[in-house]
Amino acid sequence: MVEIKHLTKYYGPKAAVKDISFTIEDNEILGFLGPNGAGKSTTLNIICGVIPSTSGSVTINGYDIEEQPVKAKQCIGFLPEIPPVYMDMKVNEYLMFVAGLRGVPASKRKSHIQRVMQRLNIQDVSKRLIHNLSKGYKQRVGFAQALIGDPKIIILDEPTVGLDPSQLIEVRNLILDLKRDHSIILSSHILSEISAICDRVVIINHGEIQAIDTIANLESSAGANTVLKLKIQGSSREAARIIKGVEGVLRVSNITFVKTGIYTYDVEIAHRDVRNPLLSALLYGKMEVLEVSEERKSLEQIFVNLVNQPVGKKKSLRDLLDEMEDESQSTASEEPEEAASAGEESEEV
Amino acid sequence: MFSLYKKELQGYFFSPLAYTFIGLVMLIFSGFFVWWIFTATSTQVEFQFSYFFYYNILLTTILLIPILTMRAFAEERKNGTEVLLLSSPLSVSKIVLAKFLAVATVLVIAMVLSLIYPMVASIYGYVVIPNLIASYVGYLLYGLAYIALGLMISSFVATPGLAMLLSVACSLILFFMELMLGSSFLATLPIVSDVLYWFSNQAKFENFTQGFCQLSDLVSYVTEIIVFLLWTIISIEKRRFSRS
Repeated sequence: MVEIKHLTKYYGPKAAVKDISFTIEDNEILGFLGPNGAGKSTTLNIICGVIPSTSGSVTINGYDIEEQPVKAKQCIGFLPEIPPVYMDMKVNEYLMFVAGLRGVPASKRKSHIQRVMQRLNIQDVSKRLIHNLSKGYKQRVGFAQALIGDPKIIILDEPTVGLDPSQLIEVRNLILDLKRDHSIILSSHILSEISAICDRVVIINHGEIQAIDTIANLESSAGANTVLKLKIQGSSREAARIIKGVEGVLRVSNITFVKTGIYTYDVEIAHRDVRNPLLSALLYGKMEVLEVSEERKSLEQIFVNLVNQPVGKKKSLRDLLDEMEDESQSTASEEPEEAASAGEESEEV
Repeated sequence: MFSLYKKELQGYFFSPLAYTFIGLVMLIFSGFFVWWIFTATSTQVEFQFSYFFYYNILLTTILLIPILTMRAFAEERKNGTEVLLLSSPLSVSKIVLAKFLAVATVLVIAMVLSLIYPMVASIYGYVVIPNLIASYVGYLLYGLAYIALGLMISSFVATPGLAMLLSVACSLILFFMELMLGSSFLATLPIVSDVLYWFSNQAKFENFTQGFCQLSDLVSYVTEIIVFLLWTIISIEKRRFSRS
């Protein structure tokens, strides 16, 4: 278990991380999400004891990283952004060296690195110079390094950068497999990656935590309202009027011109039962519905919203979602033509 | 700590670095050996070593030791492997010590190989054993001091080439300081020359080549080594605070 309390880091006058607190439970995958330069790597480096914090504490399995660094670091396997591999060493030599560094007893080293190599599927390159390996293999060797010594906590700083899609799936499965007996912190700026494997997410921007929640909670709070995407042939003004007239429709937005007489509409409805009355109203109003599709407000949107928050104005997730709602309602009440021009903007919302 | 030491040593011997170093040290030894035989004035050669070692150590410290020390920290920093060491359960002082010992080992290997010259000399001439031992002790300490200096400079910069250049520059500055010491101008300024004399590595080394193993000289060299190593540790710790 890792406990992070009020972590702050200043580089000169500039704060890279401001008052961050969160915990990682046993057997949990925690996603650490934020745009580039948000302070992800700084935080992870502090957790691993590579750089000291300005204030605050990091406790790893009960050992403080500053007070008892040796014991704390023995519990951690760290894969930094750039895999820390020596180009002039062979893979097995390198892993033997890391095993020594982590204090694996000499008699067990060989079997231990064999097991790790097997887990990462790199036995076939074990006798090759790391310099000659492809980027994906280098990344995997770096990953193997983090597993040496069976640390309880594994910290991965953007582990999937530079991997091809099949390797990506392998790494994902590996992380899920590791979850059984490890706690994992995984940083990334790619959302789909996080939502695919993480139990909980910490969203960070400008060095501050914007949200901590489970994926399911984030998604359900964001996707409470269903959005229907309609493609309709007919006057946009008339169509918008009809749609708004249906009970249960919350807003119409993002009216975009496709070609003469054909527009697409984003219609937010309170619940799914509104779909049929909506469609029948449209047909009754002599509109031709060409396409209907349903989309849920994805995690992506929440992420973009959270990270685009102005600095210093910290809001809870709930406030933010409410605000999003208000904004979209005001957009929807405008005239359709204007709404169409504002379509680009509301798409970003 | 041992595994880092082993890895460093392997790094020197799996690359041309250690061989280049040892080869050049041997070349310098043989060059001076031949020169010394050619200029011998008596047929009964007495292997005294003083000048022999004097010029030898100058070339070794100024030009060769930077070859060994340049990579130590600069390359780790350049390749991002520093993070591996810092996140491992090794303390910074142990990391520095392991690297220092690895370079020291290469130097000791070179010195052991160089014993071939006194051995050859002892067959055809007469070797002053106490002199020889003292010279080797002095040589080792002098070399270790410059290794510590080189490691310190390597920890300041991020590219091995720059570390090498700076180490050579520092050694040259120290060398010129020694040269000034013997000048008649400084003889007129006793205070300055005294202070410079305290810090002079050459002057102490001369005592060793004469066969004197003085405690003050030993302490002075050891202090120098410790100061440079501590400075290395401090420089790495300091960078941990400010790196981004």
